[in-house]
Order: sequence, then structure tokens, then C-alpha cells
Amino acid sequence: MRRGAWVVGLIIPAGLAIVWEIAVRAGLAPGRLMPPPSRLFQTAWALARSGELQTHVVATMARVLLGFAIGAAAGTLLGMLNGASAWAMRLLDPSIQALRAIPSIAWVPLFILWLGIFETSKLALIALGVFFPVYLGILSAIRSVDRKLIEVGRVFGLSRTGIALRITWPAVMPTWIASLRTGLGLGFMFVVAAELMGASEGLGYLLLDGQQMGRADSILVAMIIFAVLGKISDGVLVALSRPVLRWQDTNRIRL
Amino acid sequence: MTQLVVKGIGKTYADGTEALRGVDIHVGTGEIVAILGGSGCGKTTLLRLIAGLDRASTGTIAVDGVALNGTHAAISAVFQEPRLLPWLTTEANIAFGGRRLAAAERQARAASLLARVGLAGHGARWPRELSGGQQQRIAIARALIGHPGVLLLDEPFSALDPFTRTSLHDLLLDLWRELRPTVVMVTHDIEEAVVLADRIVVMRPHPGRVQETLPVDLPRPRDRLAPAFDLTKRNVLRAINRSLAEAPSGHGAAAGGGVSPWV
Ligand SMILES: Nc1ncnc2c1ncn2[C@@H]1O[C@H](COP(=O)(O)OP(=O)(O)OP(=O)(O)O)[C@@H](O)[C@H]1O
Ligand SMILES: [Mg+2]
Repeated sequence: MRRGAWVVGLIIPAGLAIVWEIAVRAGLAPGRLMPPPSRLFQTAWALARSGELQTHVVATMARVLLGFAIGAAAGTLLGMLNGASAWAMRLLDPSIQALRAIPSIAWVPLFILWLGIFETSKLALIALGVFFPVYLGILSAIRSVDRKLIEVGRVFGLSRTGIALRITWPAVMPTWIASLRTGLGLGFMFVVAAELMGASEGLGYLLLDGQQMGRADSILVAMIIFAVLGKISDGVLVALSRPVLRWQDTNRIRL
Repeated sequence: MTQLVVKGIGKTYADGTEALRGVDIHVGTGEIVAILGGSGCGKTTLLRLIAGLDRASTGTIAVDGVALNGTHAAISAVFQEPRLLPWLTTEANIAFGGRRLAAAERQARAASLLARVGLAGHGARWPRELSGGQQQRIAIARALIGHPGVLLLDEPFSALDPFTRTSLHDLLLDLWRELRPTVVMVTHDIEEAVVLADRIVVMRPHPGRVQETLPVDLPRPRDRLAPAFDLTKRNVLRAINRSLAEAPSGHGAAAGGGVSPWV
């Protein structure tokens, strides 16, 4: 893609925003349920000025990142354990698969009952949502590592640990990172669910508050900020993983 | 300086396929032995047993008189596909084969072998950026970096065009002259066997056995166009015909006592 070609992708959203702004200003549309862009800027600016926006963003991001860290660590460790040991696999995987069949949101009432309505239950929900894609991703990646490359390790004298570190791990890396990205996306999904079930701060709270107050503008501001935060977090994850995935860059694909 | 003795080797796979029966091969120090035989006669199986990647059902394999049990530091291999590790640069792939060397020596040897296989300046590239022939050169360098006593090659050039294959024959022989490993090489290609080997072992299938062993008494470097070269090739072809003739019917036995259609 040529430099700057991405601008094309802006045509539709920017065009719609301009058309909507003009329509509302000209009195062709009411704009109460769907405020024009200028209104959203004002709302966002006011929220930022009062420091409220920062509080919400920090609260939400802290939940997502902590929940993500817990879920991703648990998923990675259990996935590695079950990928390394057939015995652990037989013992643990059926239970994990059974739990996976339960839609994660269905845990909410039980988490609240067990852990209260404050942070712990929220983190538990987010961690649970992140856990499954990471666990499944790393497990299936470990199980599909090319046996031929493992044999290379054996011929050149690697121990079992050596093979795990120098062959299995790098081979699994791309899938692992892809599963972390999926997990992070789900983390954002579940933070909304967690904050909608009751919170005094966070972007989810802003959503709920906007609904109760009939303020479409704060709802939309919260939604847009969710999108921006999600995109930035994913971008950071991709940037962090780039050095270790350089070998995989798909610029030159051979048949 | 390593001697390889394969004695009474048999291999029956878990599904009951008898891939090898009673195989005896003695490879002297620094000798090149080519194993020739049709598809399914157990050539790959035999190499895998020597490499320690699978276990024999019967018999023993010994290096310098010591029976093997699993993989062995003195034995390295080039597979039919390059099998480079895609996340390591070409030079790091070569170095991977020298894990038992000290780090400094490993680096130095990786760099010199890279140049030796004609890829100086390509050390920082990724394997997928190399052609098949270049990848196989790296695989050869990786197999040789650790001073192996025994080098195993399983049809290493069969996927390459005749030009590349011929140049890799020369490369392999140059490296062999320099490092003198004992070489066991599996091939389908009669000419390749005659160019490279000191001895050719012709195998026969169902189950895989040694049909006969032919010495190649041609001076090196060998001239593919010399009449003596042709003569040797024809002797090998006769041995192959005999192996086909003796194969049980239904397994590609030539009708009428051993006149194969491709002579
Ligand atoms: N893992 C396995 N399990 C069961 N049977 C096997 C296995 N590997 C090979 N065989 C069988 O053993 C026999 C010998 O196979 P092998 O791969 O050693 O032949 P080959 O001489 O290398 O053939 P090719 O020239 O086609 O590579 C074949 O009948 C094959 O089907
Ligand atoms: Mg084979």
C-alpha cells in the first residue's frame, strides 16, 4: 500500500460526520438522540476538563489490563501444561472444555454472589473471558508444532527442555500472540458487561449513566473512547510482538 | 574418524508393517555409502534408526564399537526437506547444528561455513527468503558444523533441478574431502550414487533387505561422461533389475525374469 493510502478509509466516516453536522445545524434533524459531532466534542471536552473522563478511562483500563494479565497468564500456563503432558491433558482438558460451554456472562450472578459487586467479581469475569481463547490458542498451537522440526532438535542434541524452549516455544509464538489479541478484545467486551452490572466509575458507568439520564452524547463519547482504547491496546500488543515475529513477515511468500 | 556398523537390523512398525529385516551394513571411517532402492524399501526407516529418531525392533547399530541408544553426538543428518528453523536467520540455523561447540567457535564456524556453501552475505536473511537449493546448502552446513563423525543424508537433492543438484554434489564432495565424515546417503538417483559413493548398497523391498553391495572403483574427481562411469551405472542397473526380479509378485516384479522396462 502506498504511503497515505489509508486516508481513503476516512472518506465514509468523515463524510457521514459532516453530513450529519450540517443536517442538524440546518434544522433538518433533531439531533437529540443522535447528537452531531460538534456536540460530542463539547461533551468530551467538558468531561476531560472536569477530570471525570480520566477517572473513567483509568478505572476501565486498570480492570481490563489486570483481568487480561490474570486470564492470559492462566490460559498460557494451563495451555502449556496440557500441551506438554498428555496426562495433565486427560485430567484437566475435559473440565476446561465443559466450563467453556457456559457462556461467560452467565457467571455474573454467581461471581457477584461469591465475590461481591466490587472489583473482584469484575476482574474474575474479565479474566475468564480472556482465559479461554488464550488457553485454546496455545494448546492447539503446541499440539500442531511440526514434528519434523522437533526431530531436527533431537538430531542436534537438544534435551526435552531445550526442544520446548528452542523449537516449540518459537513455533507457538505467532498463534499465542494472535490468541492474546483475541483475548484482549474479549477483555474489552467483558469490561463493559462488568461495568454495566454496577460500577461507580469506568466507561461502562458512563454508558449506563448516559442511558439513565437520556444523554446520548455521553453514551457516544464512551463508545468512541472504547474504540480508541481497544485499538491502541491492540496496537501496543502488535508493536511489542513485532520484534519476535519478524521472521514471519509475509512480504515474500513462496509457493 | 568414525566407523558405523549396522548389524541384523529389523524394524516392524506398530501397525505391523515390516519395513526392514536383517540389514547388515558396515561403513568404514570416512567412507561414502549410497543406499539405493525403490520406494518403500525402508531406506528412510534405516536412516531414522541410525539417527536415533526411531528404535529398531531387532539388531544393533554401533559407532566405533559402541552400541547406540537414541541420538548420538557424532551423528548428524540432512533430511529430504531442508527443515530449517524459520525463526532463525540462515547463519543462526547453521550455528544451531553446533550446539555442542563453545559459543565463539560456533560463531566463527557458522560464518565460515556460510561462505563455504556459497552464501556469504546471506547470513542475516530468513530461511523463507532463500531458494530451495540455498536452503538445502544451509542444511548441509548445519549438519557439518559440529564435526560429525557420521553424516546421514536422506535424498537431500531429490527436490532440486539437475543444475542445482550437480553443483550440490560438488559442494558435498568438497566438504567431505575437507572434513572426512563417514557418509550414508539415501538416493533414488543412480547417477548421484555413482558420482558420490565409494560403495553402493542396493536394497529390495517387502521387507526391506540388502540385495547386494557394489564397490565404485572410479578415481575422484569423477567424470560423468567417462565410459567407466557408464559401465558402473550399468552394473548398478543390473543389480536393481535383480532386486526387482526377486521381489515377490504383486510388488513390481518384472515379468520374464528381470528385464526392467527402463534398461
Ligand atoms: N511411521 C510408520 N508407520 C508405519 N509404517 C511405516 C512408517 N514409516 C514407514 N512405514 C512403512 O515402512 C516401509 C518403508 O518406508 P520408508 O519410508 O522407510 O521407505 P523408503 O525406502 O524411504 O521409501 P521412499 O523412497 O519412498 O522414501 C513402507 O512400507 C512404509 O509404508
Ligand atoms: Mg524415504
